[in-house]
Amino acid sequence: MYYGRATDKLVQEQGECGGVITAVLIAAVEQKLVDGALVIKRGESIYDGAPYFATTKEEITEAAGSLHCAPTLSAKLIKNDFNGARDLRIAVTCKPCDARAIIELSKRNQIDLDNVYMIGVNCGGTMLPGPAREMIRQFFDIDPEDVVKEEIDKGKLIIITKDGQHKELSIDDLEAEGYGRRTNCQRCEYNIPRMADLACGNWGVIGDDAGKVTFVEVRTEKGQKLLDTAIAAGAITLKDAPPQGIALREKLDGIMVKMARKAMATQFAQFDGERKFERLFAQFDKCDGCRECIDVCPICSCVECFTKQEFVVPKDTVPPDPMFHLTRLMHVSPSCVNCGQCENVCPKKIPLATITHMVQSSVQGTLGYVPGQSTADAIPLCKIAEVKA
Amino acid sequence: MSQAEDATEMDERQWEPSILTFCCNWCSYAGADGAGTARMQYPPNARVIRVMCTGRINPLFIVKGFLAGADMVMVLGCHFGDCHYLKGNYACDMRMSYLKAYLQAIGINPERLYWDQISASEGIKFTETMRNVVAKAKALGPIANEIGAYAHGTRQNRSILGMSVFDACANGAGENGSTTQEIAEDIW
Ligand SMILES: Cc1cc2nc3c(=O)[nH]c(=O)nc-3n(C[C@H](O)[C@H](O)[C@H](O)COP(=O)(O)OP(=O)(O)OC[C@H]3O[C@@H](n4cnc5c(N)ncnc54)[C@H](O)[C@@H]3O)c2cc1C
Repeated sequence: MYYGRATDKLVQEQGECGGVITAVLIAAVEQKLVDGALVIKRGESIYDGAPYFATTKEEITEAAGSLHCAPTLSAKLIKNDFNGARDLRIAVTCKPCDARAIIELSKRNQIDLDNVYMIGVNCGGTMLPGPAREMIRQFFDIDPEDVVKEEIDKGKLIIITKDGQHKELSIDDLEAEGYGRRTNCQRCEYNIPRMADLACGNWGVIGDDAGKVTFVEVRTEKGQKLLDTAIAAGAITLKDAPPQGIALREKLDGIMVKMARKAMATQFAQFDGERKFERLFAQFDKCDGCRECIDVCPICSCVECFTKQEFVVPKDTVPPDPMFHLTRLMHVSPSCVNCGQCENVCPKKIPLATITHMVQSSVQGTLGYVPGQSTADAIPLCKIAEVKA
Repeated sequence: MSQAEDATEMDERQWEPSILTFCCNWCSYAGADGAGTARMQYPPNARVIRVMCTGRINPLFIVKGFLAGADMVMVLGCHFGDCHYLKGNYACDMRMSYLKAYLQAIGINPERLYWDQISASEGIKFTETMRNVVAKAKALGPIANEIGAYAHGTRQNRSILGMSVFDACANGAGENGSTTQEIAEDIW
């Protein structure tokens, strides 16, 4: 476990916390370890980060910095637009949900994991661009378009405007008002991307180094290769992380997990109790059957979707037959990585991710399967208990 | 008391649970056959579906069974080690424990799913199981208590003035090249 920093001055400045990720990406591309880097690039404003396939030093540097209002998911993109990385090698910056989704897709033979280098960023959660603008107008009392930078630090959302004002508010308070991080992020127990090749973040950086370097944990051989390549190219400097830093990182992670469990309990409670089925369907019956949730889901990858089998789901009704949602839930929930995409794209704002996550937390125990952790354990329901001879 | 209320009262008193039963071809179905041949008595609430193997039962068939109004679903297969296809009942066993957790999560009492193993020679076990399960179903009450109108597919589609567009089309609206105006008139 190291503290890492870019050597290039420009990369240091552009980077969020010392630019080690940007430097590693540049070295990987320039040393031909990968063909390109899938990063999140800022558009017109801080609210419109979008995935971008960068192949030059300039392009990668341009995408440096963390965007907390970019609730993107790169996994399905790699499957659909990059042919599952079968014929090119990609380094991709991953929030833990990105990494977990990539692993789940690779288990379904939709992504060739050998060709994907996952550089994980710690993630305390992302915000939807629309509500974030509204929140900034309402609670910070400034024009959201004047914000040039946002940061999340010590439970506070900090914004910096173009005329240099700093303002901060507690995320807890914002979330109590229904703003702040997406609800799936509030429930997320995976804040350190330990399933990725490298796990990077500012947690655990203490003393004079705070804000200037990034904590880097090597998780796999591929991760080591990324670092070795960057060091050989003289792109980064590393030093060992101090024990207090390592302990602090663990502690912060523990606090986040506790908060996530609390959020799960309160969010799932809205469906608990009498007539749960009908209360769930009060939500599902808003559905128009547009199938967007299936299109974006990183678990849904069947060529022939079972919800299109007429003997299971009778066709052409609005709302769709109840079996539509029950089938989707059954197929997705054992492997759901709580990325929240289904809920975000739903035009009717059905709390799909919340419901799927609720079912997943209920079935997880019986299946003994935690999705998106490693490629070693088989997808549940594909695995049949070994019969003793 | 109004006639309508009277009718529901009657329904409740006369209600008999219906139990959807999946039997595997090689063991349990033969067990049921054995019970019949030996003229053993058991309650008539079960509708038996024969499958080649319990490993063929997609958990969704069971969910669909509940939506079709089954008060309980019973899955009967071979004992471990006896499966004609070696591993089918292991697959079933795993799916049943998953399905119970799933049912719990969506608000259907997992007790409504019963999974057991009955061999071809266990006619007596078959009749006993049947009696026990019917008693359990009676104690649990109708499935409609838990999932309401969804139990018999009588839930209404989203409607325009009481009639859904699809019902309207099914009733002939919009047929034979009628104009939008005519369709609208048919619907409203
Ligand atoms: C949404 C988000 C939340 C974070 N929350 C925490 C936290 O709670 N605790 C913590 O310790 N660290 C967190 N981090 C990590 C931290 O902000 C830095 O990214 C990390 O320390 C690396 O710094 P760097 O200077 O090396 O990164 P840089 O060199 O600036 O590189 C960052 C890379 O991340 C990519 N990126 C930016 N936004 C996203 C996004 N939304 N999704 C995927 N990739 C993206 C950029 O394209 C860039 O390539 C978060 C990062 C993100 C993106």
